[in-house]
Amino acid sequence: MTQAEIETYVDAAARVLALPLAPLHRPGVVHYFGLAAAMAEIVGAQQLGLDDEPAPVFVPVSPRAIPLPAAE
Amino acid sequence: MNPSEVLDAGAARIADAVRRREVSATELIRASLARIAATDPRINAFTDITAERALGRAAALDSKLAAASVPAPSSYSSLPLAGVPFAAKNLFDIEGITTRAGSKIERDKPPSHHDALLIERMENAGAILVGALNMDEYAYGFTTENSHDGPTRNPHDLSRIAGGSSGGSAAAVAAGQVPLALGSDTNGSIRVPASLCGVFGLKPTYGRLPRTGTYPFVASLDHLGPFARTARDLAIAYDALQGGDPRDPACAQRPVESVAPLIDRGIDGLRIATLGGYFDEHRGPQARAALDHVATALGVDRRIELPGVERARAAAFLISNAEGGALHLPDLRTRAADFEPLSRDRFIAGALLPAAWINTAQRVRHWFARQVAQSMADVDILLTPATPVAATPIGAEWIEIEGRRLPARPSMGILTQPISCIGLPVCAAPVWLPHYRLPIGVQIIAAPWREDLVLRVAQALEAMGVVAAPIASSTTGIGAAA
Repeated sequence: MTQAEIETYVDAAARVLALPLAPLHRPGVVHYFGLAAAMAEIVGAQQLGLDDEPAPVFVPVSPRAIPLPAAE
Repeated sequence: MNPSEVLDAGAARIADAVRRREVSATELIRASLARIAATDPRINAFTDITAERALGRAAALDSKLAAASVPAPSSYSSLPLAGVPFAAKNLFDIEGITTRAGSKIERDKPPSHHDALLIERMENAGAILVGALNMDEYAYGFTTENSHDGPTRNPHDLSRIAGGSSGGSAAAVAAGQVPLALGSDTNGSIRVPASLCGVFGLKPTYGRLPRTGTYPFVASLDHLGPFARTARDLAIAYDALQGGDPRDPACAQRPVESVAPLIDRGIDGLRIATLGGYFDEHRGPQARAALDHVATALGVDRRIELPGVERARAAAFLISNAEGGALHLPDLRTRAADFEPLSRDRFIAGALLPAAWINTAQRVRHWFARQVAQSMADVDILLTPATPVAATPIGAEWIEIEGRRLPARPSMGILTQPISCIGLPVCAAPVWLPHYRLPIGVQIIAAPWREDLVLRVAQALEAMGVVAAPIASSTTGIGAAA
C-alpha cells in the first residue's frame, strides 16, 4: 500500500466504525496501520491449503445442568 | 534464620519453615511488607498493597497451624505454599480493589467482588497475597513504562526498564519483595521481564491455566503464569495453579499434572537443540553468549531451523493488534485521550485492520503450529534467548542488533512472539555472564503440555550453576539492605 492509500483507508475505516481520529492521534495511527500492512504482506506470502483452517476452534457450550443420557 | 532471611530463601524454604512453625506466617508477611515499604519507592513494582488482608490471612494460618497437635509435616502436599507472600499483576481481580490493567480508564469501574481464580488457588495452597503489580497499560507493551503509574525500574539497575508487560511482577521477585508473583504473557510478557530482571518465569501451554477473573488483552493468545527465583519454586507455584475451569472458554480442561516431583530427574535422555535461522539473526552479543553458555553446559551441539518464523511473528502481531483494538473500541471512540500514549495509536490502528488479514494470520498460525510439531518429532527441548538484548535505559527508542537499528519497545518481544503464537510451554531462565553487568534470559521450550520438561532442564541448569536469580543488592542497595 502507498502512503496515500493507507491514509485513505484509515480515514474511511475509522468513519465506518464511528471512531473519531483526533489530529494529534492520526499520524501515529497511520504509522501503525502501515506497520500492520507490512506484517499482512509477510503473512500473505505464506501459501495455505484448504486444511490450514484458522487456529481458534469453536467449542459448543453444553448446559451443565442437563446430564447426558445413560448408555443403553 | 530471622524472618527476613527466610523471606530471601525462597518459597519452598518459607513453606517448610512455616509448616514446622520455625517462623510464623505473620512474621514473614511483616518482613515482606517491610521490604516493599523500604524498596518500592525506588522500584515502583507495586500499585496496591493489601496489608490488612495479608496480615489477617497470616494470623488465620498461624492459628490453624498452632491448633495442630504436632507441627505439620514438611511434605510437599501439605500446604505447599504455607505463608509464602506473593503478588499479582494488576489485571488479576482482587476482591475489594478495582482491576485497572495498568489503565486510567478502568479506575472508574467498581471494585472486584471476587479474587481471580489463580489467586484463589495460590491462597488455597497457603500463599498470601500482599498486593497488585504495575504493568504496561492493557498489557500492550514490553517495557512497563506506564504513564499513569510511572515506570517500574529494574532492581539491578534503576535507570533501566524492568521489561513488560508484567514488569512489576518480575521486578518484585528480583528485588526480594516477594518470592513469587503472577503475570500474563500474550507475546512475551512473562518471558521478557523475567529475562531483563534476571528471574525465572513460566509461560505454560496455551489453554493450560484458566484465565477466569483476569482482564483480557488478546483472547486468542493470552496465557497466565508464575515468576520465581528458583526453578523449584516455579514448579511448586505452577502445580498450585493447575486445573481446568469451564468459565474460561480457551481452557483445555487438562487434569492436574504435577511437575514438582519430577524436576530432579535431570536431562539424561532429553534431545535438545538450539534454534538457528530467524532466532540467530535477532540476537545481540550478550544473548548469543548466554545461549552458548547454556548449550555448552547441556552438551548441546545440534541446531535446527523452524520454517516460517517471521510469518508466525507477523501473524501474532496482527492478531494482537486486531483483537486488542476491537476489545477497546468503545473507549477508543469516546476516551482516546485517556489511553497510554505509547500504545493508544496502535490500538486505534488495530481496530481498523481488514478481516481478511486476521483470518489469514489465524490460518498461518495453525500452519506454523503444524510445521513446528513436525520439527519437534525428534527433539524434546529447543533453546533460544528470551530477549535480543539485556535491559535498556528507560525511555530508549532504539536498539541495535547485528548492525540493524530496530525500534526498542516492540523488538524486545521479537524472540518470544513466534513461540507464544503457537502456545508452546516455555521457562525463561536467567543467565549472568562474567563480562556483563545485567542478566539475560534463555527460553527453554518444549512441545505442548510438557511443562515438566522445561522445568527439568531449568532445574538441571540451576543445579549446575549455569542459571541463577540472585536478589538485586550491591548496585542498588535493594534486597538485603532492607
